[in-house]
Amino acid sequence: MTAPSNPTLRLQYRQLYQNSLRYSLLGTCLTHRPALWNQVRKSHTAITADPVPLRKQLKDEARRKKAEKKASPKSSKTLDPRLSRWELTVGLEIHAELNTACKLFSPAATSLNAEPNSHVALFDAAFPGTQPQFQKATLIPALRAALAFGCEVQRKSSWDRKHYFYQDQPNGYQITQYYEPFARGGTLTLTQLDGIETSDCPEVTVGIKQIQLEQDTAKTILQPPSTYLLDFNRVGTPLIEIITLPQIHSPTTASACVRKIQSLLRAVDACVVGMEMGGLRCDVNVSVRERGTTAEGLSEYAGVKGLGTRTEIKNLSSFKAVENAILAERDRQIAVLESGGEIEGETRGWTIGQTETVRLRGKEGEVDYRYMPDPDLGPLIIGQDLVDHLKDTLPMLPDETAERVVNEYGISAKDARTLISLDDGDRLEYTEAVVETVMQRLASLPEKQSFDKVGKVVADWVLHELGGLLTTAGVPWETQTVTPERLADIIVHLQTNQITGNTAKKLLAHYASLQPVAEAAIPSVSKIIDTSGLRLVPLTEGEYIEMAQKVMAENPDMVKAVREKGQKGKIMWFVGQMMRRGEEGRVEAEKARSYVERLLEV
Amino acid sequence: IPYSEPSLILSLGATPSPKQLVDIIEAALIMLARLAPRTRQTRYIHARSFARTFVTSHHRQISIERDTNGHIDLEKLLSKPTWSVASLLPPKDQEATVSEVSSKQLHHLLRLSALPPPKDAAEEAQMLSTLTSQLHFVKEIQRVDTSGVEPLRSLRDETVQGESEAELGMDALKGALDMEETRGTHYRRIKRKRGVRLPEEGEQWDPLGTASKKTGRFFVVEGGKND
Repeated sequence: MTAPSNPTLRLQYRQLYQNSLRYSLLGTCLTHRPALWNQVRKSHTAITADPVPLRKQLKDEARRKKAEKKASPKSSKTLDPRLSRWELTVGLEIHAELNTACKLFSPAATSLNAEPNSHVALFDAAFPGTQPQFQKATLIPALRAALAFGCEVQRKSSWDRKHYFYQDQPNGYQITQYYEPFARGGTLTLTQLDGIETSDCPEVTVGIKQIQLEQDTAKTILQPPSTYLLDFNRVGTPLIEIITLPQIHSPTTASACVRKIQSLLRAVDACVVGMEMGGLRCDVNVSVRERGTTAEGLSEYAGVKGLGTRTEIKNLSSFKAVENAILAERDRQIAVLESGGEIEGETRGWTIGQTETVRLRGKEGEVDYRYMPDPDLGPLIIGQDLVDHLKDTLPMLPDETAERVVNEYGISAKDARTLISLDDGDRLEYTEAVVETVMQRLASLPEKQSFDKVGKVVADWVLHELGGLLTTAGVPWETQTVTPERLADIIVHLQTNQITGNTAKKLLAHYASLQPVAEAAIPSVSKIIDTSGLRLVPLTEGEYIEMAQKVMAENPDMVKAVREKGQKGKIMWFVGQMMRRGEEGRVEAEKARSYVERLLEV
Repeated sequence: IPYSEPSLILSLGATPSPKQLVDIIEAALIMLARLAPRTRQTRYIHARSFARTFVTSHHRQISIERDTNGHIDLEKLLSKPTWSVASLLPPKDQEATVSEVSSKQLHHLLRLSALPPPKDAAEEAQMLSTLTSQLHFVKEIQRVDTSGVEPLRSLRDETVQGESEAELGMDALKGALDMEETRGTHYRRIKRKRGVRLPEEGEQWDPLGTASKKTGRFFVVEGGKND
């Protein structure tokens, strides 16, 4: 919009523009004065109203919305009213593949994605006359799993046969520990950080009834309509079945429980294949009961009284599926009971994307597994010295590690857990190495930095900066090239104000993009700073004073407000203006403030 | 607990009771063991803390004949059995009027065991009568008093020494524990070493070699419902 040369006309145009703005849709949105970006930019215009920065505008909007929300409290998740009458009870049965070199009863190797039918022993293929040979190396991860839950390891346990005919079971029976499992009675505690339901907070303790060893079945691939392709690589792989007591009362808590069990097993190196790879499978037992009823007339399981009839949902293959299936089944059972029906003890299935579970099998009595002790195998006798040794050398469990990290490094609990879970704990190891190196270098300097502060900074860099770079580049952690020493170098330079934050990020990006070459060939941080002239030169006193005077000259009203009206808060406004005008990182807030105060004679 | 020298005197005037028979046999075995040359494998057969008693309902007293010198004619003594397994079966003259097993139960059991169902009513009747007599047999066996007796699951060396040999402790698992490494200095973790195992001899065969139905490297099973 070109301005007319006539000053009067110019003024008229300006007024017209501002009027149109005031009554336009845009103008009505701006409750206060027109924003800076809406002004007609002219070098000589004296703006009638003070321009409001966009930043302030957005902040005011956000503040207003928050106040509105506070005025009318509305819960984000409306609680199902039926839950005030009905209580859900869930018990979990988790099958986890043990981390072993060979199978449970044959010396064939365990494998994950090997060529089909390439690791099959004669016993696995159920050749007549073959006998099971217990592989004792499978005891180590099994015992570690039992100790991680605090279970009591039974000195003597026995093997039983569970008979059923199915194409994935070549022997016609599965060798399991039905009558005498090898571990009994443990506990698992979940807190809010594990993701339990808010109504279960602050913590919920789930009892573990028993842990038993058993064999896995073959992998079947269905070719519709009814042809099965079988791969016996998985037959006989050792599994542990972890049976919890029915002490879980919400779907979210159940899903959190499965997640916690997986992380615990991974931490002790008992089961390293996760649920998404099929290494951990979950069956759930769901029942509902009316709140406030007595235990008479209701069933009992392993000492937990007052349970309704339960249904079993089999083959849940993800954490989300566990949560959704339990939710759907709970709603179905409540609907049936409220309409006067009865729950049948049946087995149901769930596929992702469905809204209700489907019935797979009828009552429990229809399937008879004809359990009998296996006569080919002697009892499993576990020595106490082995249990004691494994207990003493058990790795620190994730909860304890998180607590240690939070206490030692001042990192937030959430960040600590993320660090522990990423890359099998390698990320945390890296972080700790960097912190140690940084503290060593800083110790030689006169100004002391606290361990807490350094820990927070390093964790932030490892998780967000370095992690972000690697994710964007699609580089997995194992192949990244930034050594702990190099990252420590960057952080030390940053903490001692030799470089700005932006420069540090650029340096990190540079190092992360390097090809893996010999250490000597990579230039050090100081070298790069010197050659590229990235060193931060702080402002001298003269420069501070000059800048402060400039700002004050341009804003006499603010100066007047501080000097005469005594509005001390506006001092920081001056500091903010100086930081905006100065080169990035060169203006230090504290120093600027002291100079401004001195100049304003406050 | 070493077994003390039995101080029983075999009075051949009466049939040795089952308990006495057990004692006699154990004593004989101990004497034989002591006579045998001492090798490192010799084990003392320790007596149990309880004795197995077999009480049958048919306990007939037989008088043993002796000749004038007091000797027993062993051939004559052992020619006629004093006990037969037929005593545990229902008597032949007793008509199996009502079968204990219903037709529905029979079909359920046959399905559980993956056995073919009976072709006609006659075969079914024969199966039912066989099952009934088998149940009678089992019931007779179940009348034995086994309170306090541990069921025998398999023939194992159940002595104290045998148990200590079967125990899996540190020395048994030493090889497996060496296959692990500690990872990390600040955050210590245990990891099993991968790729150190040699291929087993047992894996040098082709599992699909004997398969009649296969596709590529997979076994093929038709899973249609045809029962």
